[in-house]
Amino acid sequence: MAEKPVWEQIGTSFVQHYYLQFDTNRANLADIYTDSSCLTWEGQGFQGKAAIMGKLSSLPFKTIEHSITAQDHQPTPDSCVLSMVVGQLKADEDPVMGFHQMFLLKNIDNKWVCTNDVFRLALHNFGQ
Amino acid sequence: MGDKPIWEQIGSSFVQHYYQLFDTDRTQLGAIYIDASCLTWEGQQFQGKAAIVEKLSSLPFTKIAHNITAQDHQPTPDSCILSMVVGQLKADDDQILGFHQTFLLRSYSSSWVCTNEVFRLALHNL
Repeated sequence: MAEKPVWEQIGTSFVQHYYLQFDTNRANLADIYTDSSCLTWEGQGFQGKAAIMGKLSSLPFKTIEHSITAQDHQPTPDSCVLSMVVGQLKADEDPVMGFHQMFLLKNIDNKWVCTNDVFRLALHNFGQ
Repeated sequence: MGDKPIWEQIGSSFVQHYYQLFDTDRTQLGAIYIDASCLTWEGQQFQGKAAIVEKLSSLPFTKIAHNITAQDHQPTPDSCILSMVVGQLKADDDQILGFHQTFLLRSYSSSWVCTNEVFRLALHNL
């Protein structure tokens, strides 16, 4: 762990926490967002912690499980951390689907919060 | 077009330009990067315009075509633009593959440059 650059440690830690909370009790995700956070969920925009939590809490599945295939982390010029995740998820009894998500993390008051979050299912118009 | 927020206009414009250049002559992509730019390509890191353009130019296919399924753009607190693209691509006669790419754009000397870029093929273990 000491060998990994700090942004990778922060990003990996965040990603692990995010999906663990998402899959067990997504109401716990409120802490990671602020009033200026933006979420784009399948093309729909949500601004601020309350709107974001409103959306995440109202997603229409009882059980959800994410499996991360790959994650990449980079430092940005403004000292933020950019994290991109590719994986698969299974909601209730639905078929397994690919998903793509990215997070921009910023250190505010000594805590890493998510200012930007974009989620898309890997559903293409043709073929797979 | 007048209805779209400015970050969406800039992001869409950048994305269109990027894939057009990539698919026709990717050696021309140099202008969108600066020396502080980072690229992570399938898990490998490249730092700075020269290293990035070298990696992109040396990718081992003759023909490439990207098809964008969806793109999302957001403004960031530091006045940058975050763009995420999900799509499919076809290299030479290989099968069509899904891909995922993210760009962080920053205004620099009156143009928008890409400071951070991450690319992954959507290849899962299962």
